[in-house]
Amino acid sequence: MLSRVADALFWTSRYLERAEHLARVLDVGFHLELDLHGVLAGGREQETAAVIGIAQIGITQFGSAPFAGRPEGAESEDTSLYDWLSFDLNNPGSIMTCIQHARTNARSVRGTIAPAVWRELNKLYWQIRDADFMARARESPHDFFGAVETGCHLFQGLCDTTMTHDEGWQFIQLGKFLERADLTLRLLDVKSRQLQQLTDPVDLPIANLQWAAVLKSCLAYEAYQRLYISRVEPECVIEFLLTHALFPRSVRFCLEEAAKVLTLLEGPTPVGDGKAERLLGRALSDLRFLDLDEILREGLHPFLTRAARMCAQASAAIQEQYALIA
Amino acid sequence: MRLLDQPSPNAAPSPGGLLRSYSQGAAYDEMFDRTGSPRDHYEVLCRRLQHISPEEFWRRKTMTDLSMRQDGVGFTVYRQEEGIERIWPMDPVPRIIPAAEWEGIEQGLVQRLTALNLFLNDIYHEQRILHDRVLDARPIYEAAFFRPEFMDAVVPRGIYVHVCGTDLIRDRDGRYVVLEDNARTPSGVSYMLHNRQVLKRVFPQLFEQYDVRATDDYPAALRDVLQHIAPAGAADPTVVLLTPGIFNSAYFEHSFLAQRMGIELVEGRDLLIDQNRVFMRTTRGLKRVDVIYRRIDDDFLDPLTFRPESSLGVPGLVNAYRSGNVALANSIGTGVADDKGVYPFVPAMIRYYLKQDPILPNVETFRAAEASQRSHILANLDHLVVKKVNESGGYGMLIGPASTAAQRAEFRGLIQANPRDYIAQPTIQLSTHPTFVDGRLEGRHVDCRPFILCGEKIVVVPGALTRVALPRGSLVVNSSQGGGSKDTWVLAN
Repeated sequence: MLSRVADALFWTSRYLERAEHLARVLDVGFHLELDLHGVLAGGREQETAAVIGIAQIGITQFGSAPFAGRPEGAESEDTSLYDWLSFDLNNPGSIMTCIQHARTNARSVRGTIAPAVWRELNKLYWQIRDADFMARARESPHDFFGAVETGCHLFQGLCDTTMTHDEGWQFIQLGKFLERADLTLRLLDVKSRQLQQLTDPVDLPIANLQWAAVLKSCLAYEAYQRLYISRVEPECVIEFLLTHALFPRSVRFCLEEAAKVLTLLEGPTPVGDGKAERLLGRALSDLRFLDLDEILREGLHPFLTRAARMCAQASAAIQEQYALIA
Repeated sequence: MRLLDQPSPNAAPSPGGLLRSYSQGAAYDEMFDRTGSPRDHYEVLCRRLQHISPEEFWRRKTMTDLSMRQDGVGFTVYRQEEGIERIWPMDPVPRIIPAAEWEGIEQGLVQRLTALNLFLNDIYHEQRILHDRVLDARPIYEAAFFRPEFMDAVVPRGIYVHVCGTDLIRDRDGRYVVLEDNARTPSGVSYMLHNRQVLKRVFPQLFEQYDVRATDDYPAALRDVLQHIAPAGAADPTVVLLTPGIFNSAYFEHSFLAQRMGIELVEGRDLLIDQNRVFMRTTRGLKRVDVIYRRIDDDFLDPLTFRPESSLGVPGLVNAYRSGNVALANSIGTGVADDKGVYPFVPAMIRYYLKQDPILPNVETFRAAEASQRSHILANLDHLVVKKVNESGGYGMLIGPASTAAQRAEFRGLIQANPRDYIAQPTIQLSTHPTFVDGRLEGRHVDCRPFILCGEKIVVVPGALTRVALPRGSLVVNSSQGGGSKDTWVLAN
């Protein structure tokens, strides 16, 4: 397969995963704000700051463009903030920008992906660019976020069911899982720092709402509840989202999948230096044998940062080995 | 000739619905004869259209537009700085060509492409046609796309033009006439194929009782041609389609054809030349390329030979081609065959190389380079269509009957300053075809571009791209100038 094609598939998938994640984070955040409004003075501002933290981090890591900063007036006006995060093409990390990048990448290889896959992505693009749809989305953001999530799921689902699971599909998987692992790590990082002050028993209802929102942002609320009967405990949430072997958005699951795909991609006689495998393997063993108490004692932030760095390095190693960067 | 459609005294007795008060102009109408009765091959379709309400038709037309947009079937127009993605609207009323008519077209096209390939082979080698004084050397050497760098090059199997799109129009009497050949990188075939798919999906009932020949075979036929020209020794040749990239107006077609042929769609940056051999960069290292169906113009193909500033092509590709290590379709320098300054001589070429009379005539053409013809052109600017020889896409044209005095004055100056750059033709009405406009069917001018493939033998896939000028009275069918397209049915019997 052409290196350029592999690269475009990898990034299409990454950008869509990012758009989907951001849409859900914003959707969950929107509802959380409504809940927090009655409970907590200043809760909204805090929440806004966290949302920006999450959105911003997604941008800076991949160096697609320097972080442009928040627009004037966004701090006080929720609508313009949501606009900026959702629609603004000047924001390199907005949902719209991600979808546009995904579509441009997919368009450059539309001969390689199945026509149905391209059509759904193209439909999503035109749907969210439609002026009427955007106007409605401002009144009811949930519709917009829902459309983005559904569109991204359709893309991945169609790739699974219509593409041969050969190299092209494998690069799509790598993009999806590496991006998702990274997004989960970042979300945990931002939220755990934001919420670490909430230790007073008085704050318990708020902490509860907040950690439930973290789970919902990863589509993990129901899965978590089936596993833990008690109320939402921060440690349990962190452990679940980092190490659960079978939940498809846990960091461990994502990296296991990425490592598996990488083995397939390499084939029976690997030619590269195995750098990406090594990095993924190390990150995975940290997660498989994780001792949460120890990590919480030594600091969650350094642990999450290290894991994210290894993901980024693995991604770079893959790109290097397959000549994705000309 | 009148430019605007005037209601004919013999207008059809107004049927209801879509075809109510359909009026014919001076031009030949594809569906109705001069008495207003549907021609035989349109009769069934016409009856069916009368039973579809304008509202229902509108609904289906909207479905075709939506389908086109969702499939991303479009082209990019460059007006200001940014390219705008547009869909190319398809009119749902198909154009029908009966079997007997098609037979003549097919023979004429095969004859014409045979002659054009013989001409190119001759002009890049012995130039017998010039020595025998059938043709002036001047229009050849002055043709913008003549490539002196390519004299005496040996091209695979001696074929220069592998894919040709020839534009046909019909005069007042319904006679098919060749308006121009496109022998460089003709586009539009994807619309021919895609329109059929969309129409079958949206309007399946129109096909009932018609035996329409399939066009689906085109990608396979093209692939056969490309494999046929592979350099000797390439047992299982690697064929690729070279595109300028997603910003090219025909990008949809490039990706469509690559996908349907099952070959890689490559850009210049995917290829490199090593020791006059072509390779593509893959995830498993470099892979040898044997045949390139290139959709990049000569000028941009190789910065070492042609435009040095072009980044679309591949440095060294021309030498690799000359060395016989890679085949190109179409070959380099074929533009001399479809040059508007050379066009008037094609009938003479057919007689010279094939000793046959042309089956499909040319449009009568005056060359401003000839003093006597120039004075005729200048005296009749208001009747003629003036074309610049090295332009295409409907640019650089004067349509006399629709022009203003100022435009005519401008062209008069241009022609006098550079007579060899201009030719002129009588304003041919182009046939009209019922087309859905403002809730009913109205006559709009159409042309017809069949695609001819030349490999082991010459093949014309039974179908064509019918382009339609959507503004009332307009004779310019180009997509960049507000044209649409129609599905074109060639009947089996």
